[in-house]
Amino acid sequence: MKIFASIYQWLDDRLALGRLYDQSIGHRIPASASSWFYVFGSATLACLAIQLVTGTCLALVYVPSPEFAYASIEYLDYTQPFGWLLRGLHFWGSNFMVALVTIHMIQVFLFGAYKYPRELTWVVGSTLFLCVIAMAFTGQGLRFDQDGYWGLEIVMSILGRIPFVGMEATHLVQGSPIISGATLSRFFTIHVFVVPAVIISLLVIHIRLVLLMGISEYPVAGKKIDPETYREDYEKLVERTGERLMPEGGGKDLVFTALILTAIVTCAVVIGPKIPNGPADPSLIHTVPRPDFYFLSLFAVFALMPPYMESFSIVYLLPLSIVILFAVPFISRGQERHWSKRPGAIITVVLVMTSLVILAYEGLTSPWSPHMNAWSGVPIQPQFVQGRTPLEHVGATIVQGKQCRNCHSIDGTGGKRGPDLSGVATRLTYNQLVRQVLQGDGNMPAFGRHLSPYEVTALVSFLHTLHPENEPPSQNSAPEAAPPLSTDPY
Amino acid sequence: MISHRLLLLCMLPMLWCCDGLPGKPDPANRYIRPTEVTNFDTLYSMNCSGCHGAEGKLGPAVPLADPMYLALASPIHIEEITRNGVAGTTMPAFAIEAGGTLTDQQIAIIARGLSTRWGQPQSAEVVAAAPPLAVSQEGPPGDPERGAAHFRTFCGSCHGPEGRGTARAGSIVEPPYLGLVSNQNLRTNTIIGRRDLGMPDWRQVGDRPMRPQEVTDIVAWLASQRVPRPSSSMAN
Repeated sequence: MKIFASIYQWLDDRLALGRLYDQSIGHRIPASASSWFYVFGSATLACLAIQLVTGTCLALVYVPSPEFAYASIEYLDYTQPFGWLLRGLHFWGSNFMVALVTIHMIQVFLFGAYKYPRELTWVVGSTLFLCVIAMAFTGQGLRFDQDGYWGLEIVMSILGRIPFVGMEATHLVQGSPIISGATLSRFFTIHVFVVPAVIISLLVIHIRLVLLMGISEYPVAGKKIDPETYREDYEKLVERTGERLMPEGGGKDLVFTALILTAIVTCAVVIGPKIPNGPADPSLIHTVPRPDFYFLSLFAVFALMPPYMESFSIVYLLPLSIVILFAVPFISRGQERHWSKRPGAIITVVLVMTSLVILAYEGLTSPWSPHMNAWSGVPIQPQFVQGRTPLEHVGATIVQGKQCRNCHSIDGTGGKRGPDLSGVATRLTYNQLVRQVLQGDGNMPAFGRHLSPYEVTALVSFLHTLHPENEPPSQNSAPEAAPPLSTDPY
Repeated sequence: MISHRLLLLCMLPMLWCCDGLPGKPDPANRYIRPTEVTNFDTLYSMNCSGCHGAEGKLGPAVPLADPMYLALASPIHIEEITRNGVAGTTMPAFAIEAGGTLTDQQIAIIARGLSTRWGQPQSAEVVAAAPPLAVSQEGPPGDPERGAAHFRTFCGSCHGPEGRGTARAGSIVEPPYLGLVSNQNLRTNTIIGRRDLGMPDWRQVGDRPMRPQEVTDIVAWLASQRVPRPSSSMAN
């Protein structure tokens, strides 16, 4: 033990380790800041450490070229000993990191910790949040599977909408007219060198600001911030009730961080990494690309918004939302910090998070995406075949063969883009079905030029049988003045 | 040194355990390009089950799991239909060169796999006595007039004497139906029936099995009920 003490004294003499401790993890914080609500920042930092270690190991094997990127991911998953575990830790580390940094920001927002004198800490933290999102996106692209490829395509399309310099911006990021090796090299560089360097630099500033301004005390309802006296009051509070971050105040951080690390390892070991869903080949049409969970809500927004809103949203709303994020401390200048006195903050968080969760669910199910294999791979259920006439059987094969099923489900199976056809006969009369098939409506294309009269008759005959047993098909309110539409030709 | 070796020995089982952890990706779930799939079940469920039913029956199209159909239809015949489809009907071509998505190897796997999966040994006598499944130009042509009479005898009890349908089975002579099915399909249905849907095969439709010429005559009569196809829905 004596020798260790000598080594420490030698190092302390040169590196001033004791002073470094006093000014960093040994600095004094208000006792009220030792709370379970204050543990998310340190846990995010632990996730960053995991990402750096596992990312470095993955970079030893990963090949950032279109020919070998996907193959190297598969090599890690199936051949390299423990390669799958590394990928699992990196994948789940990123998921937890995005989740924790978001929770950290919500906590800071609800606790009013961004208010005087910590406005710059919020701004730097918001930049770090965007960097984490950038890491998540570029990492997803590096898998260079179907999800990654189409994610890159969408971002390139977004960049292309920037006024005046859209084409140049796209070419700068893409590196070539199409997504290619140059694109992958750029994303690899951004993911491995550029953004991590920015994150580490900003993190130093973020922590420096936390140390300089002190960790905000637990808010008390009715206690207002007065910029004239706040710093003096804070110093008195720390002097009166303060304790060192380590070892006294940070116990909860250590426990929570240990729990998060355990959760990441457990997820990696039990669930494993995300399996790449096919190489980045745009000719593979039987695919339903879907981003990782953190982009599902954005994916849903872009899929669901009307086309005329796309450019406006990309050019104005997206940048505006980022500006608002940065401007939070300068917009919300009230002196009250406690959430019970700031209903606007609670409503904002509830509305934003509810919207994000609902949109993420929509993104997860993506009902707008046609089910490209349904026409040949999702059977017509026996109850819709039994008891039908030969013509109706042919009509059922037309439903499949003309790929109606890719957009329409029958009894819940098939595409979800259009309405389920199980009870369509109760909603539309025979003639209305003929019109719908021939002319289409809304999102449904017109099939009049793609179906012969016989095919229309067979198809509609089948559709007209799709009604519950105890509910008759729709009838015209007026008596038929003429035979059904599609019997005209013969 | 001994303790280090012991530690390594203790770690070896741990490493072995890691290999069996549930999160380790299973090579069986590895993505395979659609053109590289060679498993019959996957190929069938991706390409055929939509019309022919999940288990080869109870779909709107010919029940491929019918052992008698598989005994009478040659794999080459099934391959040909799968490859090029049947013009004028709803059976599409699946070969890549015909605009589909299946390679020749995959088509062969499907055609042969049907017999392996659902085929059952049939009595050689029954198969020999069965009417040939394929429409043939050889032999005497079908006679529609005789066919009408045979239809009334063998099919009329369910489809009605004129084929216009009864409560037991639907019409078989509607122009859209006859305009969308091939003579081969009519012949296949007449011989094999739809036992999965309650329609008997050629042996069970009357007091005795149908003779090959009677089948040919019935198909000729059904074909004679066709009317010229209208050209386009929008044109009308």
